[in-house]
Amino acid sequence: MAMITKSQDDDRRGGTTAAWRAGLAGLCLALLLAPLPAQAIEVQELIRHIDSLWRGNTSQATMTMTVKTRRYQRTMTMEAWSRGKDYSLVVIREPIKDRGIATLKVEDNIWNYLPKINRVTKVPSSMMSGSWMGSHFTNDDLVKDSTFEDDYTSKITFEGERDGRTVYELTSLPKPDAPVVWGKVVMLIEQKTLAPYKNVYYDEEGVLIRTMTFDQTKKIDERVIPMRLILQPEDKPDESTVIVYDDIAFGVPLEPSFFSLQSLQRRH
Amino acid sequence: MQQSHAASPASRLPILVFIAWRNIWRSPVRSILTISALASGLVMVILYAAMMEGMIRQMVHQATAISVGHLQVHRQAYIDDQDLYATLPWSYLDKIRQDIPGIQVAPRLYASGLASTAETSTGVLIKAVDPRREAEVTQMLEQVRSGTLELGRASDSKEGLPRYNLVIGAQLAKNMNLAPGSELILVTQAADGSVGNALYRIAAVLKPLEPNFDRMGVLMLIEAYQKLMYLDDGFHELAIHVDDITRLEAVQAELDAELKRLMAAQPLDELGGKPVVRNWRQLTPMVADMLEMSKMITFVVGFIVISLASMGMLNTMLMAVHERTHEFGILLAIGMKRRWLLLMVLLESLFLALVSALAGVALGAGVVSLFGERGIDLSGTLPDGYDWGGLVFEPYLQLHLAPADLLNASLLMIVITLLAALMPAWRTVRLKPAEAMR
Repeated sequence: MAMITKSQDDDRRGGTTAAWRAGLAGLCLALLLAPLPAQAIEVQELIRHIDSLWRGNTSQATMTMTVKTRRYQRTMTMEAWSRGKDYSLVVIREPIKDRGIATLKVEDNIWNYLPKINRVTKVPSSMMSGSWMGSHFTNDDLVKDSTFEDDYTSKITFEGERDGRTVYELTSLPKPDAPVVWGKVVMLIEQKTLAPYKNVYYDEEGVLIRTMTFDQTKKIDERVIPMRLILQPEDKPDESTVIVYDDIAFGVPLEPSFFSLQSLQRRH
Repeated sequence: MQQSHAASPASRLPILVFIAWRNIWRSPVRSILTISALASGLVMVILYAAMMEGMIRQMVHQATAISVGHLQVHRQAYIDDQDLYATLPWSYLDKIRQDIPGIQVAPRLYASGLASTAETSTGVLIKAVDPRREAEVTQMLEQVRSGTLELGRASDSKEGLPRYNLVIGAQLAKNMNLAPGSELILVTQAADGSVGNALYRIAAVLKPLEPNFDRMGVLMLIEAYQKLMYLDDGFHELAIHVDDITRLEAVQAELDAELKRLMAAQPLDELGGKPVVRNWRQLTPMVADMLEMSKMITFVVGFIVISLASMGMLNTMLMAVHERTHEFGILLAIGMKRRWLLLMVLLESLFLALVSALAGVALGAGVVSLFGERGIDLSGTLPDGYDWGGLVFEPYLQLHLAPADLLNASLLMIVITLLAALMPAWRTVRLKPAEAMR
């Protein structure tokens, strides 16, 4: 009887220890694993936040683009619409000479509509690295910037004080075989507002190619959005492209059919 | 004694020559075989030299007469990275024409753009010319494959939009499925940063001239270019034809000096760099290198082929000397000088070489003339010609016989065979009469 009691007691004690052990192991495991998913989610959220910052679900914006080169300076006013990351349309309003020229992006394709000759031309993949509307942006920027999440693996590589602000440094490296032009992109994002203030682009050899800075933030629909983008190519220090959002609105009702070749031609 | 000594070289040579000549024909079959071996070697060398020369002539013609011209002037920034703004002012063109006699000049402009049809788009190289001036410098505009060469205003499009005529490269026409009469859209970044765009009608397709133009070239009138590009103040390239080609270097120097004067009178903006004059050798270094190299290659090939053929010669002479050991012994015994014997054997080799040279030259020239002016026709296998070293060749392997090549090949053969004959000749010298006669 006593034997039995003892053994039962032992048994019970043994059971408690096992539970304890399992619990401890579980806790350790949880402690080990916890920071990873937590940060991974944060990185993904951060990227999604940045990716859709100027876009929302749908958006409508008017902006002014100033291109400065060694030879000329040009200012264009444009109107832009977007729906998700797959659809966008940009129409030039000024200057008069280029008025009505439109760029339509659907998924990975870009078309230009030319009102003077009333024709639509498709930009071939070989011309993706060509300049967009004479600016320092490439056609590729229009297509690929929106698929950052798909083409790059991103990590937070620094958290803390930099340039007098509390920032996240987000370093993105292209996924193997991703059809991208950059070898590395480093984004600096202000922690408090989650607004980016600087993107630095490197090529495959790790050479700095261009820097994009963001400022003039404005709070729209609970999000802090930089209204000015300055693109500075590294090899041409005296050239730059500046885009200023004069006005931006989100949640505008826009159907996918709005972003079609037919409507591109019909609008004019 | 004195007299016979003085007379000896002159009086004995004809006899030696006569004996040597007779000696060759003592075994006619062997000599004829030797001669045919040497002659065929020479024919090979002549054909090879003719082919090289033909190719080089075609290259030089292609470069100077069809696309490049003899001289070209560009701004440095245009040479470095095709800077659209690195133009030479139009006033320079008139001044150069006035000040330098004996040349024809043709201005050209370039830009890159995007060509589109309803189905397809591709990057193109836009080239603009002045057809009247261009015809004085190159035959580029005569190389029409299909359509008729007309630049200038074309018929309006269906909706009544104005169009200019375009002439395009053959490969581009094929890739974009274009034919004379098709419509093409060009979109580019104009000089003022705006989006240059216009409609064009394909007037003609050019034969392959140079791989770049063939693949992505569209050619238009300078007036049409200016309307598209908003670039009126100058031109990128001045192609020059020098009437007297022997004065090429002199004209190049004159042009250099003239441009310096013009720069002083009418300074150019700094970004575009200095004007640079280059001749066709500098412009097509591949062709110039080929010219340099081909002489060397022909020599090496000739040396190898003839050396092989002269092995036959060596064998023949060794045999001839060997079977005449007894005879040489007697000659030496009756007082024939060893150096006369040496000379006789060498003369025999020389005769064999000379006869072979004559036969080889006659045969080689005959074969070359058999193929005629066009050369070897490859149009069956290569209908579009072939490109090599940045130039497109017609599908004919031209043969050109330069008299100097014939002479050099023959001399090369004679020298090599005589060198080969030294060994058997040396044997006769070392003969001991007593042993040889046994």
